Amino acid sequence: MRLNLESHLNFDETMKFIVCVKQVPDTTEVKIDPETNTLIREGVPSILNPFDQFALEEAIKIRQEGDEIIVISMGPPQAKKALLKCLALGADKAILLSDRAFAGADTWATSYTLTQCIKKIGDFNIIFCGLQAIDGDTAQVGPEIAAQLGIPQVTHCESVEKLEDKKLTAKVQTDDGYKIVETRLPVLITGITPSFFEPTNPPMMSIMKANKKPFSTWGAEELGGSKDNYGLNGSLTEVIKVYSPPAREQGVVIKEETAETAVQKLIDLLSKDKVI
Amino acid sequence: MSIKFSEEDEMIRESVREFAQSKIAPIALKMEETKEIPRDIVKGMAELGLMTCTADEKYGGPGLSAVSAGVIAEELAKADCTGSTCVYYLVPASWGFLLNKYGTEEAKQEIFPKTVSGEWFLGIATTESDAGSDVGATKTTIKPDGDGFVVNGEKMYISGVREAVTHGGGHITIAHQTPERGTRGMTTFYLPLTAEGITPTYINDLGREGISCGGFSINNVRIPKHYILGEENKGFYILHEGYEYARALISVICASAGLKSLENGMNYIKERKSFGKPLAEYQEINFRLAEHYTKLNMLRDLGYKALKTIDLEQEGKVSRFETSNIVAQAKMFCSDWACKAINDVMQWQGAFGYSRECLDQAAWRAVRSFSLAEGTKEVMKMIVARELLGKKQY
Repeated sequence: MRLNLESHLNFDETMKFIVCVKQVPDTTEVKIDPETNTLIREGVPSILNPFDQFALEEAIKIRQEGDEIIVISMGPPQAKKALLKCLALGADKAILLSDRAFAGADTWATSYTLTQCIKKIGDFNIIFCGLQAIDGDTAQVGPEIAAQLGIPQVTHCESVEKLEDKKLTAKVQTDDGYKIVETRLPVLITGITPSFFEPTNPPMMSIMKANKKPFSTWGAEELGGSKDNYGLNGSLTEVIKVYSPPAREQGVVIKEETAETAVQKLIDLLSKDKVI
Repeated sequence: MSIKFSEEDEMIRESVREFAQSKIAPIALKMEETKEIPRDIVKGMAELGLMTCTADEKYGGPGLSAVSAGVIAEELAKADCTGSTCVYYLVPASWGFLLNKYGTEEAKQEIFPKTVSGEWFLGIATTESDAGSDVGATKTTIKPDGDGFVVNGEKMYISGVREAVTHGGGHITIAHQTPERGTRGMTTFYLPLTAEGITPTYINDLGREGISCGGFSINNVRIPKHYILGEENKGFYILHEGYEYARALISVICASAGLKSLENGMNYIKERKSFGKPLAEYQEINFRLAEHYTKLNMLRDLGYKALKTIDLEQEGKVSRFETSNIVAQAKMFCSDWACKAINDVMQWQGAFGYSRECLDQAAWRAVRSFSLAEGTKEVMKMIVARELLGKKQY
C-alpha cells in the first residue's frame, strides 16, 4: 500500500508517471505567418513550456524510490532540447514524437498522437500535463488525452495532496477558492501553476547526466494507429486567423486615505466616463 | 558562427542565466555596499554546481570542460555588474582545475566536498609585495619538516581572504623549496587560511567589492605532505596551467561585461535625445558602438578559442606552448577593450554615468582589475612574443 505523502513513509508498489511537455517559443510577442496562420518559430529561442515544468516538478515532488517518470513530447527534432531539460530536472526517460506526418496537428490530432504514445508505453498510474502551452493557450490537449484514454481527469490541480490505495487526492483551484478532489488511478491531471512556484534551474551535475538517460524518438510507424488521425489529416479544426490581441490599457488605481473618499472618487470617475 | 556549443552547454547557459538574472542581478550593486556576496547567493551557486565546477564527479563536482566553465562565467558577468560573483566563481573553477589535475587523492577528498558545497572558498595566492607576474621573485619559502612542510612568508593582493578565513578553505600558493635552483626549485601547494600562523590583512579594492581582497603573513605554518600539488620543486610549471585557465575565463568575462554594458548603452542612446534627435543618430556615438561591438565579439570568440584549446590540451591534442600562446592572446586586450567600451557607455549617459547608481561604472571598476589579475597585459605580450621569436632570444 502506498502511504500518505506527507508522512514520507515507504510503500510497496512503484508507480509510473507520464508527463506531457511541449517546447514553445520564448516570447510573449508571438509572431504569426499571415499566409499560413501558424506560428513563426525561426529565429525565436525555444524553451520548455513553463506550465509543463510545473507539472513535471509536481511529478518529481511525489515520486518515491523506484517510481519512474517518463516525459513525452510531440514536436520537431529541435524539441529534444526541452526533453533534455526535463531529464536534467529529474525525469528518467524521454520520448520525442517527431514525424512529418504529425505536422499541422490541431489539439485533437496532437492528443491522439500523445495517446498512441501512452498506449505504446503501456501501464501507467498518473499522467501529468501543464495547464496550457504559452503559445497556443488552448488548455485542450490534456483533457483530450484523458477522453481518448477513457480515464478520469482532474484539471486546475495546484498540488497532489495524497496518493494511497490507488487513489489520488488533489487540491484544485476554483473560481472562488479551492476544493479537494479524490479520484481513482489511473488519472490525468493538469496543473495550474501557483504564484509561489519557483521553477528549478537544473544543476550542472544533472545537466551532464541528462544525455546519458534513455531517449527515444518515435514516428508514426512506431506509434501505429491510423495515419489519417495524425497531423493535418487528423485535425478536426482549422485555424482561420491567429492574431495578437491589442494590449490592455493600464488601469487606474485609486488610493485614498479612507474608503469613503475612495468610493467618492470612483463614483466621480465612472460618472465622468458616463458609465453610471 | 565560430563557436559550437554542445547541448549541455546550451542547457548550462539557460540554467545559469535564469539563476543569475533572477537572484544576482537585482542585488548586484547592494553587494558593493555590504562588501560581501550574501551567503544564500553562494549557496544557490553551489546548489547549481558552480563552485569548483571543474572538480570531478567522484569529488562531488560536475567535472565541467573549460568551454562549459566559460559559459557560466559569461552568464554571471552579464548579471553581476560588480564582477564580484564572477571572481568568486572563476577563482575556485580555475584553481579547482589545477587541484583536480595535480592534487593528491587525499587532498581532493578533503577539500572538494567543502568547496563544491559552497562552504569553503578555494583561492589563489601567489602575489607578494615584490613579486606579481614575476612569480620567480617570490620570497615565501617551504621546507620539509618531519612528515610535512613548514611555510614562511607573506602574500598580498589576494582575492577571497576574508571568505576563507571566516568560512573555511584556503588558497593554492607557491614558494621556494630549493632557492638556489630558482624557478626550478619552487613547489605549489594548498595552504589552509584557517591554519595556525596565518595573520590576515585587508585592502580596499577599487571594484569587485562583494569579494574581499587582502593579504596574509605566514609564520611557521605547518602543512601535511598531501597538500603538495604535483611534484616538489616543479610547482612553477604546473602553476601556469591554473593561471591559463583563469586567464581564458577572464577574457570571456570581460567580453561579456563589455557587451552587456553596450546593451545598456544602446537602450539609452535610442531613447535619450539631444539637440532634437536621439544620441544613437550621432555618428560619433554609433561608430564607437560598432567598433566596440566588433572588438568585444572578437574577444569573446578568442576567449572561447582559448578555453577550447585548454580542453584539447587535456586530451593531448595541443601542446602546453600552444595553449599558453592562445590564452595570452585572449587575455592581452580583454580588460582594455572592455574598459574602453564601458567608459564610452558611461560617457553617453552623461552625469548619470558617473553616479554610483549607474551599473556601468561598477562594471568598469570590475573589468579594470583584469588588466592586472592573473598576469598583466604586459606579461601576455611577453608570452606571445616569446612564442613567435623563440625562447633563445631571451
